[in-house]
Amino acid sequence: MPVWLREHSWRQTGSAVYLSVPLRGVRVTPANIFCTDQYLKVSIPPFLFEAFLYAPIDDTNSTAKIGNGIIFFTLYKKEVAMWDSLTLENANKEKLQYLRQNAVLKAHEKAKVETEAKKVTKQEHRKYALDATMKLEEAERKRIEDLKEKERQKVTKELELWKKQQKDAEEQNRVQKEGELCQEVEQLEKKKEKIIKTRIPNEGTSKTRLQPTKGHGSYSMFSENLKEEQLPAPRSAATIKINFTPRVFPTPLRESRVAEEQEWLCKQAEARRTVSADMSELEDLKEEEKNPDWLKDKGNKMFAMGNYLAAVNAYNLALRLNNKLPLLYLNRAACHLKLRNFHKAIEDSSKALELLIPPVPDNESARVKAYVRRGTAFCQLELYTEGVQDYEAALRIDPKNKTIEKDAEKIRHLIQGTMQDS
Amino acid sequence: SAAAGLERPQLVTHVQQPLNYTLFDCKWVPRSARLLCLGSAARGTGVLQLYELRAGRLALLREIEKPKPIKCGTFGATSLQQRYLATGDFGGNLNIWNLEAPEIPVYSVKGHKEIINSIDGVGGLGIGEGAPEIVTGSRDGTVKVWDPRQKDTPVANMEPVQGESKRDCWAVAFGNAYNQEERVVCAGYDNGDIKLFDLKTMSLRWETSIKNGVCSVEFDRKDVNMNKLVATSLEGKFHVFDMRTQHPTKGFASVSEKVQKSTIWQVRHLPQNRDIFMTSGGAGSLHLWKYEYPAQRAKKDSEGAEMGVAGSVSLLQNVTLSTQPISSLDWSPDKKGLCVCGAFDQTVRVLIVTKLNKV
Repeated sequence: MPVWLREHSWRQTGSAVYLSVPLRGVRVTPANIFCTDQYLKVSIPPFLFEAFLYAPIDDTNSTAKIGNGIIFFTLYKKEVAMWDSLTLENANKEKLQYLRQNAVLKAHEKAKVETEAKKVTKQEHRKYALDATMKLEEAERKRIEDLKEKERQKVTKELELWKKQQKDAEEQNRVQKEGELCQEVEQLEKKKEKIIKTRIPNEGTSKTRLQPTKGHGSYSMFSENLKEEQLPAPRSAATIKINFTPRVFPTPLRESRVAEEQEWLCKQAEARRTVSADMSELEDLKEEEKNPDWLKDKGNKMFAMGNYLAAVNAYNLALRLNNKLPLLYLNRAACHLKLRNFHKAIEDSSKALELLIPPVPDNESARVKAYVRRGTAFCQLELYTEGVQDYEAALRIDPKNKTIEKDAEKIRHLIQGTMQDS
Repeated sequence: SAAAGLERPQLVTHVQQPLNYTLFDCKWVPRSARLLCLGSAARGTGVLQLYELRAGRLALLREIEKPKPIKCGTFGATSLQQRYLATGDFGGNLNIWNLEAPEIPVYSVKGHKEIINSIDGVGGLGIGEGAPEIVTGSRDGTVKVWDPRQKDTPVANMEPVQGESKRDCWAVAFGNAYNQEERVVCAGYDNGDIKLFDLKTMSLRWETSIKNGVCSVEFDRKDVNMNKLVATSLEGKFHVFDMRTQHPTKGFASVSEKVQKSTIWQVRHLPQNRDIFMTSGGAGSLHLWKYEYPAQRAKKDSEGAEMGVAGSVSLLQNVTLSTQPISSLDWSPDKKGLCVCGAFDQTVRVLIVTKLNKV
């Protein structure tokens, strides 16, 4: 049960009500005061002061002054009139309750409106700030652009001036050289005339006059001849033999690819060293038949001649000796394609791809072949989706290959065709 | 802060010119505001275009077509009056052209069996002493030095030993040409090898191997006692070698930088200041660097032999101009800070680098 504070005093003018509520021994903060247009409450638990005002007031502009042990309210009436009393008389409990709740609701709504208004103003402020910043940045950018433009213009002017100077200098040079040339020609002519005069008269009196030629060619010839006399003779030819830091791959050296390349090389080296454990059956083979590379070559020859079964046999034997060489699987896959053993072709292509990891430029063509062969086998088995996937994988490695592109297109059309039928 | 940033050299694009062919090399014509673009047309022929910088644009003066695409060119071995251009093409041919009469080359030789990737010239342009010579490096694994006065055969040939499988030579550069006798050639290969050939003694003077294919090599000056050599490579790295002190086993001291992930296609030193150089990258960017020498350039090792001490490199500025690699770069020898670069987006750009005096 709250402790009601009944002690209060008030006076009024036509437009305002001055109310003082003494509160001894308690600290009051603005949060303890609740006011709407017709209801006023001061709640400092357990103390409670409540007033249902006689007439509505302007609660926005009304003030409460918290002093030493007293609150002084200045309430501005909405309507100028004299109140009979501060509070409503004859109000029953229900009405009071209703008024209280109403007051709370009103306060809430007012608070909401205020927050909305605050939000709007905040946004407007932010927008303004943003605009201002943008303007500043724009100004800064423009300033820098202007500086750059000025530099550009300055340099253009300097360039034009320098070009002019060059032209003038060249002109001067040319005129000077021509002058010198004329002098030289004159001297030569004088000499010639002297010689001709001293010659036997019946040798002919054709005087050759040296025509002074205009342009750069003439004087440059003179100066070039002079310079040539000062130049050393061409070097006597020699060869220097060099070695290169060894590199297996034909591609340029890139630091970031070195690890991958090393891995591939190690794998290759290991594969060559692998020899099949079960050698008993192979004892009666000839020496060359125990060499997987020789057998591979034999297989390739058989394939070229069209003898696919013999080729397969050769690859089989080679694989028994060394089952880590990807090219054996790759070539055997090609044979199986020709023999229409499509499942075996798929198996062998897959095995080859497994062994062609890591992917380096060195094994690019092998991987393309593997994908294409497997793709072909899939398509022959009417597994077109798998087939086109392999063709696309091949294209990714070798995007410029037109044949693969065309075939991939064909398969895609086939897929669309079967989908439409079904 | 922005103010401090503006004190550094700025790389400002002055002119941009789109082309309708693949651009492989661009060079300033010495003593002029003219530049050359060399490349490959769509129909597989070679293109030479001569432009002049006029009032903020590039005016096309001449366009010349040749049977084979052109990969690289140099004015390094020509006189200032003649200004003949030496080019290497996709067919392995070395040609020297008089641009006033380009129908027939002044010199021509099928120098290599495969494309000439890189070319350099020395002894011309009134710089240095000694005979004018041209060096070419090719995909066929050989490096050859040519004298324009000697037809058909090179004056020096650096080729692999019999039976050695070849590596592509990607970069060549002349250096150490400080008197009539001395001269070296540096060559970079796709397997990371860098070799230094001494032409006076006709021997291999030094070799080393870096971890990536070598795209470009250049001495800071061709015509002085060799001072510094920069080599750029794949995977965004470059190395600066101090060439003044050669240790008997350790060779030359170096410092390296990793700039970015993509290839560094070219390095070019500023003709007016040999400690400033620019690198161009596969991500379409240009980086401007300054080399700082250490307090002591050489010191003695534990056995008392002299070894070099590398300095440090600091980035002055960088800019991204394109999404495609900038594969060629050339500073104007006449106007400090003026440079041209060519990118694989078929655009040639003329740039101005400002505030180089304040560096």
